[in-house]
Order: sequence, then C-alpha cells, then structure tokens
Amino acid sequence: MTSLTPAQIRVIVATDCGSTTTKAILIQYLDGQYRQTHRGEAPTTVEEPVADVTVGVVNALTELGELAGRRLIDDAGQIIRPATADAGCDIYISTSSAGGGLQMMVCGVVREMTGASAKRAALGAGAIVMEVLAANDRRRPHEQIQRIRELRPDMILISGGTDGGNLNQVVQIAELVAPAKPQPRFGGGYKMPVIFAGNRDAAPLVQQVFDDSVDLAIVDNLRPVLERENLGPARDKIHDLFLDHVMAHAPGYDKLIAWTDAPIMPTPGAVGNILETIARRQKINVVGVDIGGATTDAFSVFDGKFNRTVSANLGMSYSISNVCAEATLPSILRWVHFDMNERALRNRVKNKMVRPTTIPQTEEALVFEQAVAREALRLAYVQHREFATALKGVQQQRSVGDAFRQTAGGQCLIDNMRLDLLVASGGVLSHAPRMQQTAAMLIDAFEPEGVTTLAKDSIFMMPHLGVLAEVHPQAALEVFEKDCLVYLGTCIAAKGRGKPGRECFQYAVHTETGTITGAISCGEMRVVPLLPDARARLDLHPARGFDLGAGPGKPLECEVRGGTVGLIFDGRGRPLELPADHAACQALTSRWVAALDLYGGRATAAPAAS
Amino acid sequence: MSQAYTPGLKVVARERLRRRRVLPLPGEVLVQAGQRVAARDVVAHSLMPGDVTPVNVANLLSIAPGEVPRAMLRHEGDRLTIGEPLARSQGLFGLFKTECPARIAGTIESISSVTGQIMVRGEPHRVLVDAYLAGEVVEVLPESGAVIEADATFVQGIFGIGGEAFGPVERACPDPAHDLTPALLTPAMRGAVVVGGARVTAEALAAAVRLGVAAIVTGGIDDQDLRDFLGYDLGVAVTGNEPVGLTLIITEGFGDIAMAERTYQLLAARAGAAAALNGATQIRAGVLRPEIVIPWPDMQAASAAPVAAGGVLRRGATVRIIRDPYFGVIGTVGRLPAEPQVLGSGSKARVLEVVASSGEVFIVPRANVELIES
Amino acid sequence: MSSANGVCRTLLGAAVWLAGAVALAAGPAPPAELHVVDHPNDAGTALDLRWQLSPDDQPDVTPRKVLRYDILRQAAAPGAPVPANGPAFQVIGEATYGAAKFTDPNCVRGTAYWYQVVAVAPGGGRSLAAASTAPAVPVMQLFDATRLWFGLLLGVVCLLILACIARARSGRPMHMRRIAGLEAVDEAVGRATEMGRTCLFVPGVQDINDMMTVAGLTVLARVAQTAAEYDSRVEVPTSRSLVMTAARETMQAAYAAAGRPEAYREDSVYYLTDEQFGYAAGVTGQMVRERPAACFYFGAFYAESLYLAETGNLIGAIQIAGTAESSQLPFFVAACDYTLIGEEFFAASAYLSGEPQQLGTLLGQDLGKLLGAALIVAGSVLATLGQLGPDGGSAAAGLRYLMNSILGSG
Repeated sequence: MTSLTPAQIRVIVATDCGSTTTKAILIQYLDGQYRQTHRGEAPTTVEEPVADVTVGVVNALTELGELAGRRLIDDAGQIIRPATADAGCDIYISTSSAGGGLQMMVCGVVREMTGASAKRAALGAGAIVMEVLAANDRRRPHEQIQRIRELRPDMILISGGTDGGNLNQVVQIAELVAPAKPQPRFGGGYKMPVIFAGNRDAAPLVQQVFDDSVDLAIVDNLRPVLERENLGPARDKIHDLFLDHVMAHAPGYDKLIAWTDAPIMPTPGAVGNILETIARRQKINVVGVDIGGATTDAFSVFDGKFNRTVSANLGMSYSISNVCAEATLPSILRWVHFDMNERALRNRVKNKMVRPTTIPQTEEALVFEQAVAREALRLAYVQHREFATALKGVQQQRSVGDAFRQTAGGQCLIDNMRLDLLVASGGVLSHAPRMQQTAAMLIDAFEPEGVTTLAKDSIFMMPHLGVLAEVHPQAALEVFEKDCLVYLGTCIAAKGRGKPGRECFQYAVHTETGTITGAISCGEMRVVPLLPDARARLDLHPARGFDLGAGPGKPLECEVRGGTVGLIFDGRGRPLELPADHAACQALTSRWVAALDLYGGRATAAPAAS
Repeated sequence: MSQAYTPGLKVVARERLRRRRVLPLPGEVLVQAGQRVAARDVVAHSLMPGDVTPVNVANLLSIAPGEVPRAMLRHEGDRLTIGEPLARSQGLFGLFKTECPARIAGTIESISSVTGQIMVRGEPHRVLVDAYLAGEVVEVLPESGAVIEADATFVQGIFGIGGEAFGPVERACPDPAHDLTPALLTPAMRGAVVVGGARVTAEALAAAVRLGVAAIVTGGIDDQDLRDFLGYDLGVAVTGNEPVGLTLIITEGFGDIAMAERTYQLLAARAGAAAALNGATQIRAGVLRPEIVIPWPDMQAASAAPVAAGGVLRRGATVRIIRDPYFGVIGTVGRLPAEPQVLGSGSKARVLEVVASSGEVFIVPRANVELIES
Repeated sequence: MSSANGVCRTLLGAAVWLAGAVALAAGPAPPAELHVVDHPNDAGTALDLRWQLSPDDQPDVTPRKVLRYDILRQAAAPGAPVPANGPAFQVIGEATYGAAKFTDPNCVRGTAYWYQVVAVAPGGGRSLAAASTAPAVPVMQLFDATRLWFGLLLGVVCLLILACIARARSGRPMHMRRIAGLEAVDEAVGRATEMGRTCLFVPGVQDINDMMTVAGLTVLARVAQTAAEYDSRVEVPTSRSLVMTAARETMQAAYAAAGRPEAYREDSVYYLTDEQFGYAAGVTGQMVRERPAACFYFGAFYAESLYLAETGNLIGAIQIAGTAESSQLPFFVAACDYTLIGEEFFAASAYLSGEPQQLGTLLGQDLGKLLGAALIVAGSVLATLGQLGPDGGSAAAGLRYLMNSILGSG
C-alpha cells in the first residue's frame, strides 16, 4: 500500500482483468489536471495453459509502457514504484471480472423486503445474484435445499428479520443452507464463505446451526428496521471475502492482490462506484448501462439512491437467442426499416449464439444487431425499474385528502423525466460505426423524457475509475469528465401523445453564433448539430398536453451541452409506441433513420442481399 | 490484438485422447492403472447423500418448538421407516397425547429447538461413472475416478443437445450435401450413431426417436425444427440434459448447410466402429463443444501429442466462414491485410481473404472465420 | 245468509233509485257522452272513464251548481241487454267538479261492466245519469309499455354483463384498476413477518348477516393465505359468535389453499364480546400489548373505528381498512395506510378471486353505472338549456320526455 498523499500522486496505472482481455490505462497529472494518456491491452491469462493472471497484467502494462514511453515493469517483472520522471507509477489499482465474476446466492425472510435488500447489497458489491431464497418464494423446503445443492455460488449472504424481529424463520433459512452443504464454484480448496447480515438476536443461533465446514462471518443487519437499509457493512464484507476467498483461489490472484495499492474490486462494483460518485458530486440523476455478450448490467442513481441490476440472460452474443425468445422476433423487427426473411434471421441468431465472436459484416446484419440491442436494453431497463424501488413494508402517512390517490408502497425510484445523464457502454453501443446509432439505440430503448444528456464510455474506462475513486476521487472525476465520457449530445423528448403531424413543441437554440428556431411535429425526429464542447441555451414551448419537464404545456428554459451527434429533438411522444401494422411501422422507422442519418446514404433503400 | 487467435473445431482422423472421468463427490474407484476398459464399463461409483426433507414437528404436534427435543421418540442419527412414530407430545397431565408418524424414510440429521423442525435425509443415490472412452486406464485418481487414454478419431461439433451416447457409426446420407430425411432411416439403425449430411428435418428427428436411434450427427438444422423437437425456444447455448430421446450433434450450424466434406469422409470411413459422443454444449467462458469420439482398437506408439485447441491464422490454413452473407463457405486463407478495413456495415475491422475451392475470393472480418484443424 | 244479503242489496238499490227520482227536479244538468275504455299497460284490473262535464259545471259560477260526480257501476252478464237504471248500479267512486275522467282500479279481468255518471249538486240534487253505451271489459296487456325504457336499459346492462363475462372467459386480459389496499396486503403481512409480530384482522362489529361482514371475510381469506405462505400469525378477535365460526372456516380453507394446513391454529380466531365498546376496548388493549405489525379492518364499523385505527397508527402498524359505512371512512382514510372505499370493498372479492364470472360482472356493472351517469349528465344539460330559453322549447320537451317516459315510470 502506498503512503503517498493524494496530492503527491502524479502517475496512476489501472488495469481491468476481464474474462478475455486485460485492459490497462495510464493516468498522468499534466498541466494542473489529471488526464488519461495511454492505454494498452493483452489477453487475460487466467485459464490454462498459463493460469496466472499477472502474466496478462504484465503484458498489458508492457504494451502500455511502450506506447507511453515510460517503463512500468522492471526486469524482475515487478511494477516500478514510485514514479520517476520517465519510469514507474505512483499507484497501481485493478478490478477483475475474470472467471465469470462474483456469483452469489442470497437469502431473506420476505422476498420483497430483506430478500430484496440482500440482493441489493450483493448486486451493489458487483456480484451476480444466482438465486434469491426466501421463506415466501412458494417453494417447499426440500425444493429450496435441492436448489442450493445445484448451485455452486462463490458466496452466500443470509439476511432476514429486523433487529429484535423475526427469529424463527431466520434460523430456519440457516437450517436449510447448512445441510445442503453448498460447494464453492472453484472446487474444494476453501470453505464456503457465508455472511450473516440479519436480525442480530438470531446471530448466535445461526452460528450454532453452521458447523466449521463453512466460513461464517457475522455483520450488522442490512435491514435493522424496515424503514432503513444499512447495506454498507454487508457490501464491505462481500468485498473482503471476495478478495480473501474467491480471488485468492483464482490463479495468480494472490500475487495481484499484493501488487495493488487498493483492494481489487469486481468490475461491475467499480462501475457502480464511479457512477454513484459522479451523481453525488454533481447532484444529478444518472442511469448507466453496460451491455455485454452474456449479460447486461444496469445502474441508476436517483436522488442519491444507488441501484444495480444484472440481467443474466440478456446479451448480444451468448445470450442473443434468449433476447429473441424473450422479446419475440416481431418486437425486434419493428426497429428494422426494411424487409427481412424471418426464417433466415432465426437461423442467423442461433448461429451467432453458437459462434459468439463474429461481427456483422453487412449493413443489413448491423441494422438487425442494433435492433436486437434495443430490445435487450429495453428488457434490461424494465427489469431494472422493477427492482429499483423504494423500500417495501414501510408505514405510509396519510391525510383525508389522499382518499382517492392512495399510492402503494415500494414505488419505482426511476423517473425518466428527472434523468439527467444516460451513459452507455458495451460493445454494441460503444463500437457502433456511427455515433448516431448509439444515440438512437439509447433513446429507443430507454425512452428518456424531457432533457437528457447522452454519453458513452469511450474505451470502457469506468471500472478503472471506480477503483480510483476510492483512492483519489479528484483524479477519478477529472478523468471521467474529460477522457472517459464521449458526449453524444442531448435528447429533448416530449412526454405525451398526439396525432402524427400535430405540433409537439417549438424550440429556440441560442448559441454564441446565433439562434436557430423550429417546431417539431408529433412523430418527428430532428437533429440540430452542436459541437461536443459547445453549450447552448434552449427555449422550449411544448404544445398543450406535452411535457418537457416543466409540466404539461409549460415552457422550459435550460442549458444543454452538445456532442458528437448534437441536439436530438424527439417528437414521437412517450410512452413510445410503434404502429402494429408492419408496413406503417417500416415507413415510420425509415423516416427516423433518415432524420438521424443512421446508416449513411443508403438509409431508406433496402440494402442488397449480400 | 496483435495476433489473430481464432477459435477452431477439431476434426482429426487419429489422435491420442485423454479423458478424466471423475465422480462429483468422493467414492470408490473400480479400475486399476493399465487396465483396458470398454466405453460402458463402470470405472468408479459413489453414494450421493439423499435429499433432505424438513419436518415441522412443532406444528404437527401443536407444541412449542422448545419442547420438540423432549417430544422426539427418535433421535439424531436414527433411521426412520414410513409410518413409525416419530414424536409424541407430553399432553395435559399425561393425557391427550398426540403422536406424529414419519411420512418419509431416511435418517434424522438434526433436531432444532428454535424452529421446531427436524431434518430427515433420504436414502442415498448411487452415482456411477463409466469409461466413455474405450482404451487404457493410465492413471487412477484415488476416491474420485480415473484417466483413460486411447487413440481415436475425434470430431467436434458446433452445437449439440442431449448427453453422452454410444453406438456403432452408421452412414445414412449418400453425400454430405444430402438432407437427412425420414426415408433414409431404417429399423436397422436402432441404437446406432447415424451420420447424416446436410440439414436434418424435424420429421427425421421424430422418426429417429421412434426407431430408437442413439444419436444423430449431421451438418445443420433449422431453428424451427429444433424448436419443434425440443418443445421450446433455446435461449442460451448451455445444453446436455435434454430429455428428447437421442443425442443430436450439429457440425456446421443452423440452416441449410452441408457437413464439411472432410468431416463427412472421416466419419464415413469409420462406419461400423463403436463411437462415444456427448451432445453437451456450453458456450460461455470455458467453452464446451459437443464431440464424437471413435476409438481405434490399437494404440500407435508414435501418435501425435495433444494439441491445444485454437490456433493462429496463416496463409493456406483451412477456414470456414461463420457469418452471413457467406456463411458456411470453406476455403483457404489468402491475403491477410494488416490494416483494418471499412466493412459494409460501416465498422472498421481487420479482414482476410478466403479463397473457396471454386476459386472465388471472399473478403471477411477475421472474427468471422474459424479454423478447421487437422 | 245469501238470501239475506240479496234482500239487503235489493233494498239498497231501491233506495238509491228513489233518491235519484226525488232529486230529479232539483238536479243539475247531466253529464254526457260517457266513454269507457280499458286502462292501458295493466294486468286487466282497471278501466278508464271519460265524459263531458255537465253544462252546469262552470268554473266561474258561484255558488257551484255541481259539487261532484258519482260513478256507478254494474257488472254485466255476458249477452245481457243494456240494463236500465236500477238498484244493480252501485256507487264505486266519485270525481270532483271539473273532473271529466275517472279510473276504476277495482275491476276483475274479463268481466264486462256498465257505468253511469251522475252530477251531484251541493244540496244533494242529482242529475240524470250519463250511461255507457256498451259494456267495457278490462283486458290484460302482456307488456307494460310505460316501462319500455326501463326494460331496455335493464336489457342493455344485462347484455353488457353477459358480454363482459364472455369476454373474461375467453381469456382476453381484463384491465382492473389496481386496488392499492389489496396489493398492500402482501406488504403488510411481510412487515409482520420480518418484525416477528402478528397480524390483526378485525371483521367489524356486525353479525354475519351484514353484507360488509361477508365481504370482510373474503378479504380475510386473502390475508390468511398470505400469512400462511409467509408463515406469519393472524389473530382475529370477533364480536359475534357466528362471525367467529365463519372466520375459522375461512382461515382453515385459506391455510389449506396455501398448502400449509398444519400451520392453522383454531384459537387464533376468538370471541370477545357482543358489546360494541367492550369489543373496541378489548381489541385496542390487545393491540397495545402485542403490538401487531399489520392491522386489517374489514367490515361494518361505527364509533369504534377511530379508536382502533388511531391505536394502530400509534403502535406503528401498517393498517388497511375497508368499509362501506360512509360516516367512518374519513377516519380510516386519515389514520390508515390504505382504505377500501365503499364499492371498492365489495369489488374486492372479484379482484381477489380473479374469477372470470365475477370480473365480468364487475365490468358490466361498471358500464351500467356509466350509462346511468350519462343519463344524469344529459338530464342536467337539458334542464339547464330549458331554463335558459324563454319557454324551454325543445330542451324542456326533451327533459320532460326524459323525466316522464325514460326515468319517470322506471
């Protein structure tokens, strides 16, 4: 661990050990600010024949050093520290998702209460939750035991009961877990880590239930009273155990742990960390998404409340067939502006599933893949919204005036109208050939309302910055703002519905160079270019029944930032609905494709078969 | 990436194969090193602890959980048979006693005075592991299994369903471009590993199940046919336990696609030989592909050392294009331009030339080919 | 007896005849042109009479020459000739001066009647009788045409209900407004489970014959089933013995439905007292001692509603109430987390069961109510328009039609 104060840190090296590649970035203090200057990567070396993660790290750092003209690794294969004028670094940090990341099983008494809190704690720590076991999940106890035996989680989190509350059922859950003798995923090399974060009165009893075949850790109740969550202790313990048990048993990680100046974090945990930091510092509401081959992670920070979900079977390669099965092909094809042969498509989807590494070669294939991405993102966001709710089981305060609008407890925290920043990351979004395509996918899938800034993670740097935020928040924020995010622009979308052709809203864009005014009709999309570093003042006048953030029909004035795409005015209305009729839908999507110039000159013409 | 590392499927006529056959939990190994085993010989067995069933005695007897240990007639470690009295309540002044009989057989594992429930573990299940690969035991793994080695013809498929299957290789299609239809299946193929050609139809699969065919190996299948056969739409390619009546291995992919000539010839040449195959597919980190193993009866001394799967793309290597618009084309690698090129889709990627046997040249992204190893 | 009766009648008839003859000289001018027709839209029990007023019956002449008209009737044997004035005619009613019509409601279907109308002067002088020229027979009408509109509306509502049931049965998804209070049952029971406390269910202070108590027990089934699934305890204090028995049955069935019949405890449903405030005191006392984490009040409540709800609020329980007792609703709304109001409470059983028949009925009834509301709106509009114009015009006519024909006789 370094003894430097934050002010003395001038050169930072960070790696993210993914399941296929290890990505390294170099951050330097130049001209009074922190900037990300270089990046390098190498294949991850967790599996045979190398089976030592540090080999991949050294390879990535060597490449990074060559590119930066700065020697980072000494002859003994160690990282040079601290930094000199032309060699070494001040701190080295890392994240890891190699080997499928951290897989957990969580238990609670009531699925929607302590079960949900436990899931939130595990997800927030960057884990994939394989199963939530609860007293009310409608499974008979022997079915639950069977399920525990089938799963091979890395770790188990048990919660349940408020402090001084339920005792019986908490112990009952422990009694289900104990005889099932769950086996850790990485074989018999270590004891299964079990964290108990439930009713503190139950802790001694739970301790009696487990013998020493598991490694039981007891932390503060994550739901001491129903009105409040206390996820911190459980989350920290998960991180500790992740390092002590799971990581320590993965090949080469013992060495890597010794190298780093801050604890290694699971990659998604780090991404959540940086988004949470940004939202807190800038006092904005943020939604982030990372769409991968097998899973899609969604993050949100609304009013300071952080939530993360993993949609385990929504992804663009391994899980593409599942996206098609869940969303159905007609739903996907509504985003495609030309005819496609369904049977051929189904076979193609399956071929992509069995050969997940291929990339679309033709425009037709790209359009289809992006249509699938829209549906995958949409479904992931639906799942996220279902999970990101206020706490359930809390007493409501009412007055007589509430007689006719009794809102239920556990309302969704996500409000697209109040969303300020939408961040995209993951292959299909960040490697789309045109920025417009990324923006269009985000808008179609997330349906932002009002005024929302769109951005993408340039080179998947968020994990690195997430760990850095723990050590040096200022550096993390500066790099995040300047180098990590590529601003696509701002989406201005009206909430409400109207007949196509009717006026939706009027706008006036005031920039340093002049003013542009115009009107958007219902069903129309329009792009007004505004450069990435430019800012503009907007005067918006929604038509009656449409809301841009100030209330239905109320004018709004705001400042927005430009981007590689610019300002995107969306008059399609919210919730976004496409015509059920196939031909009408195609005509409409063709217009949008043309308006956003999504696919170059051949936008509306059906591409050739090849 | 600095080098083109491309996943490939193995299709080899003869190779020294090793298979680790291990129990899921410690048990007894039944073979010795040096022993020759057939595919279906059991190499190890073990008893898997039975299922656990909780019985809430406190509720059954309407007593407080704390009284349960005193009420128990049987204790931890005791064996239970169905119907025998398990516990009896103290009742009021020794009157009004209630009794609860055991409803399941097994052993009492624990009795809880907090929840009032007891855990009964059922009879253990016997778990067997067979040799799978007919060959020689080269290593015994104490209490867990054995390593078996043999020279075999080894073919990896791209996708399969169903688990391990065994049977003699029988050729059904006259050439690799021929669809596998019900007409080509005969009652003589009962228990056989049927080698087809191109696409297998849903009717042919149904006919094969009726005839009792052990497995089908063919070039392609239509997604719709697979869905009809399975009864659901497969979302994630993790298979191996489908109860569909046979094991199916697809060597090329989905759609109308012929089996690669070499694969077909290799399998056809081994007609009549006993094959072992496994349809289990897992396309995730740590990819698992289905395989067909046809051991040779003898072992050659100078057989090739095991080669790691995957390899480096070089000029002249045989590759298969694995993405539309040229899906299924097999050819050799031509030029390998170093600089990324702009594709029809607008993205930039490194490409290569594939020269088909007809002489036609296709330019495709490097990610869209796979090596056919030999 | 019968002969005595006959003699009496004959004597009476003779007396009337004599009286008529005496008054003949001093009587007013007779009414004329008596017409008797069948009374429409009835079961054949009435006849309508109309005549021309006596020429002496003038509104502006004082003193009046005609005080009233006596209506006389005689049942006719079939085929009998026109009867002369005689004792067989009996007075069956009277109409005041100025009235030229009368409805005789006491006829027997199928019997023919003769009528006479006599004008009577203030002094008792009688005019000559105006007589009907043909016997009139009351006839039954199969349909009451005045109720046509009502029948039509009823038919429409019935058809709507049937259509909605058919729709529900066809498996088409039906949207039903979420009733927050019922959705919150899971949450409330969950809270009790997590906190290791009980749930309290109060079925009101009325007996089982009250609709609200029955509706409350439907909700109890849901609460008990949820509690069984969550393995939480429900306590049901009752104030009527019959309610206790019914609640026990309900609970037992609910626990069985949840697949945990062994978890059901009969003594969790018990009787306190019939006395309204004794009951309220008992329940609140228990609330303070046991501190349940979820309280449900479903049934008929009176003054005790606020005691219960306020105590529940004080102990920090999630409270859900439902009653159709409108005077108690404000208390529940203010003190509870969720309240089912009136109709919602009764709709709960359809909502909870999700049975197509109940859901369809609910939807059909709602459409019927919509129809009623539409008529009220139409009436208000017509009445307003009618007031605006000088003489009302067509709007007033429309309103009259609406009131008299569509609603009036309905």
